[in-house]
Amino acid sequence: MRSRSRSNAYIGAGCIVVSLATIFLWVPLDTDTGLVERVRRQLVIGDALAPMVAAGFLLLGGGLLCIVERHSADQRRITRANLRFVLALLGLVIISLALIRWAGPGVVGVYSEVSGSGVGYRELRDDSPWKYIGFFSGGTVLVAGLIGLIERRVSRRGVLVAFLAILIMSAVYDLPFDDLLLPPNGDV
Amino acid sequence: MSVLDYIWLGVSAVFFGPEMFSIFGVPISLTLVMILIGFLLGISVGATPGLAGPMAMAISLPILISIFGFKTDALLPVMGFLIGVMKGATVGGAVPAILFNTPGTPDAFMTTLDGHPMAKNGQAGKALRIAHFSSASGDTFSDVVLIFCAPFLAVIVEAYLDLPEKTALLILSLAFISSVIGNSVGKGLISTGLGLLAVFVGTGEDFYPRLSFGSQTLAEGFPLVTAMLGVLVLGEVFRGIEKLCVESQTRGKRQTISEMGDQRLHLADVRRLLPHVSRSAVIGTVIGALPGVGSVLAATLGYTINKSRHARRKSPKDLDFGKGAPEGVAATEAANSSVSGANLIPVLSLGIPGNAAAVFLILAAESIGGFNPGPSVFKFTTDQVNQELVIAFGLFTTMFVANALNWTIGGVFMRSMGIMARIPKHILLPVVFLVTLTAVYVQESGMEAMWFAIGFGFLGYFMRRLGMSPLPFVIAFIVGGKLEETARQAFAATGGDALFLLTHPIAFAFMAIACTVVVTSYRSSRRSKA
Repeated sequence: MRSRSRSNAYIGAGCIVVSLATIFLWVPLDTDTGLVERVRRQLVIGDALAPMVAAGFLLLGGGLLCIVERHSADQRRITRANLRFVLALLGLVIISLALIRWAGPGVVGVYSEVSGSGVGYRELRDDSPWKYIGFFSGGTVLVAGLIGLIERRVSRRGVLVAFLAILIMSAVYDLPFDDLLLPPNGDV
Repeated sequence: MSVLDYIWLGVSAVFFGPEMFSIFGVPISLTLVMILIGFLLGISVGATPGLAGPMAMAISLPILISIFGFKTDALLPVMGFLIGVMKGATVGGAVPAILFNTPGTPDAFMTTLDGHPMAKNGQAGKALRIAHFSSASGDTFSDVVLIFCAPFLAVIVEAYLDLPEKTALLILSLAFISSVIGNSVGKGLISTGLGLLAVFVGTGEDFYPRLSFGSQTLAEGFPLVTAMLGVLVLGEVFRGIEKLCVESQTRGKRQTISEMGDQRLHLADVRRLLPHVSRSAVIGTVIGALPGVGSVLAATLGYTINKSRHARRKSPKDLDFGKGAPEGVAATEAANSSVSGANLIPVLSLGIPGNAAAVFLILAAESIGGFNPGPSVFKFTTDQVNQELVIAFGLFTTMFVANALNWTIGGVFMRSMGIMARIPKHILLPVVFLVTLTAVYVQESGMEAMWFAIGFGFLGYFMRRLGMSPLPFVIAFIVGGKLEETARQAFAATGGDALFLLTHPIAFAFMAIACTVVVTSYRSSRRSKA
């Protein structure tokens, strides 16, 4: 059965474009050695060959989709609803990860200004409650936000679930191990 | 050192390794305890719709590595735990399939067809017992085949294949995986190409990290854990969340299952089911030994073949498949469980992961170090001890310990896990998302790793949405580095012969098979769609 959907043709064309861009632009401009090169009078494979092979797989796959599988019956496509979901999810993730990264240093910065202590987050990242601020705030927003996205409302139950999950994760990852750092304490 | 010495060392490493505690003066090794914990966790995870064995393996791995460290002693406890999870999850998947008509794992879908009707007829206990018996039988059979096949295959590879042939074999594996997974050869090749492209970012032999756009963040490449957890776990979580978003909020009340009559599994039942279990075990093992072909196909094939045989040979009073036939439950569960052991044949003999669970075993081995799955593991050195071989026999032992647990306590524990299906998915999936991100951060200690994982998660989501399997991506990501290294060595060893894949007869044969596999798969997929 032939399909009216052009999804395969679009995916195939996209892959062909990406593979050609990889072969003719990305690899030549972003790799210092060629396909093969001479090292100590010996011919060896250069760094450019492997990405070319990868691009070859993309080109072959894209070509198959474009030419011989373009009318396949089972062609799935990305709908507007899918894109709306991805944008909502991405927005929530960006806010959550920003909180995880910056809430702790932000609160410590304000505390430092107010108290005049002059300490930074780096000095406090091993101390409670400072080290948990980012993970608790960002994690709560992420989990409660996702539950809210599914239920179409932010509920107290969602926040409670998020809080409990983070509490358990902190107990599992952070309390017993000195060498494991919760986010963002390995970065700051 | 003889073969028997190696086997004994492997068994000893499991039973008499580092002691955790002792009971009446009998020391209990850490590895045994870890297998038990992993197995019970695996059953619980398998019994929870929305979770799967690989998810639990991914989340546990950083914790396990923190507990046991990066030393060779850690390999058996950590991998024993992961093997326990892998086996437990396969058994657990049948629980919600039978009790609530919701498969706990994708390969338990066919179990719903006969398992749930049996439960509705008051035979829930019996259906669970049949599922457990068949699952444990298939799993044990598969492990026996693994233990006999993997070393022989590895020895043959080491003895007869040189560098050009090994390069061609890796290409053949990638071509096979690209072609047989999913419904489209084109999409399989694209998935493989993306995986290769991703693994080549920031790597290479030159001082300049290739394909890194001059960015320091990309200079180290994408950590393996971000690609694995992103594409396999987060991609699935994103799709699950989206599905829940569009599903109706009003959920139907679950049907109450009550049991009636004799729920035990008698010897007569076993005799009746055994032919179905045996057939499915063979089917599952053969399917499992092929890299990339998963337990869903094994379950479908096992069910279909047994269904047609049952229809021909059944007596008039026997129920048909799909209407609550115990044979249907047995056929599915034996087939999907017998994949798990056989799936490790390509891992241990060739270093190529066959499924998502095997991916995490390789990830554990790579993270801890001291064990590189592949043909070199099975070098039976006589003058000095090959530690990797000891570990390999230790792994075989852990599989049999997990089987022993399955036969003894697995059934009872499995039957008590019905409650796990009541955990609401819309609470579970967001928590799994955060746990996965935390696991990535804990292992990589950098916010960029979380971003990479999320990026790979979206890639996994889009791949699933477009009907493109993410497994070729993951396998290509794992095998890509090895493929390049082997090709470099082969090129150098042949004196810069650019046609080394075609001038060596075995390598040429592998390349010809690779092309044939792609063409044949394309034709058969076209025929099946027509």
